[in-house]
Amino acid sequence: MTAKSGNTKAMVGVVLVTHGTFGESLLAAAETVMGKQENCLAIGVDVNKGVDETMESIRSAIQSVEQGKGVMALTDLFGGSPTTMSLSLMKSENLEVITGVNLPMVVATLQSRDMTLDALAATAESAGQQGIKVAGAMLRKKAKK
Amino acid sequence: MLLVRIDNRLIHGQIIETWLPYIGAKNVIVANDELANDVLQQEIMSLAIPGTVESSFVTVETLTEAVNGSRSDGSTDDIIILFSSCADAKRAFDSGFDFSVLNIGNVHYSPGKKQVSPSVALSDEDETCLRHLNRKGVELDFRCVPNDPIQARF
Repeated sequence: MTAKSGNTKAMVGVVLVTHGTFGESLLAAAETVMGKQENCLAIGVDVNKGVDETMESIRSAIQSVEQGKGVMALTDLFGGSPTTMSLSLMKSENLEVITGVNLPMVVATLQSRDMTLDALAATAESAGQQGIKVAGAMLRKKAKK
Repeated sequence: MLLVRIDNRLIHGQIIETWLPYIGAKNVIVANDELANDVLQQEIMSLAIPGTVESSFVTVETLTEAVNGSRSDGSTDDIIILFSSCADAKRAFDSGFDFSVLNIGNVHYSPGKKQVSPSVALSDEDETCLRHLNRKGVELDFRCVPNDPIQARF
């Protein structure tokens, strides 16, 4: 694991931006699988709070996990507020935004944070997609053989 | 069906996932002075709107023109119009944009506001605007998403 000072081996920062407590729980689930993670934060968007206030909490989360290699925002719903708010921070931060976050995506992202931001984004996208299987049908097919 | 809505988030998940299919919208018009001048934010907001649905961003003042111009046959049946505040909705109505039902979706809470439904908190000014519209015959429909029961202690 990377040392806490982290300067010699900087990693891409990760922020989960989601509706409600989804991101928090997702991060907790990922840490159950992988152990405690550094420079990774979850921000829940509460519709009952103002947009400006939420934007500030996303921005400060991004800045606090930034180590010079950029930050990946993993968001839930393409078109939802957590995504659009994250996207609007792209002009001021070194940020990539990936939607459709799931546990396989979070795990793969956290495992490969020494990559460049672009490469990590591609890894996360593919892990997220590959994590989706109609597993029951796969099993039935296998049992038939 | 025409939907006129106040939502401080304008285009977001609730609109895209529920209202768009519910009213079969072909057009989304955002009436917001700030956004009308912010091309980047417009692009971000339109990103997730399905290709079959047109979106436009206009100032509150030019809304009537935009609605009339959005359809060659003059029908306003499948349009969603979004305001970010009660004051904007009142401003549009008073300047001649007529509507009979106003959906109040999300009006976020801040200190001093009164919570009237789970997603709506009103300041005195908000309340004045809504009561004004109500007196002019506009029905107030407090719902976040189509399946919500109509709910408000107003």
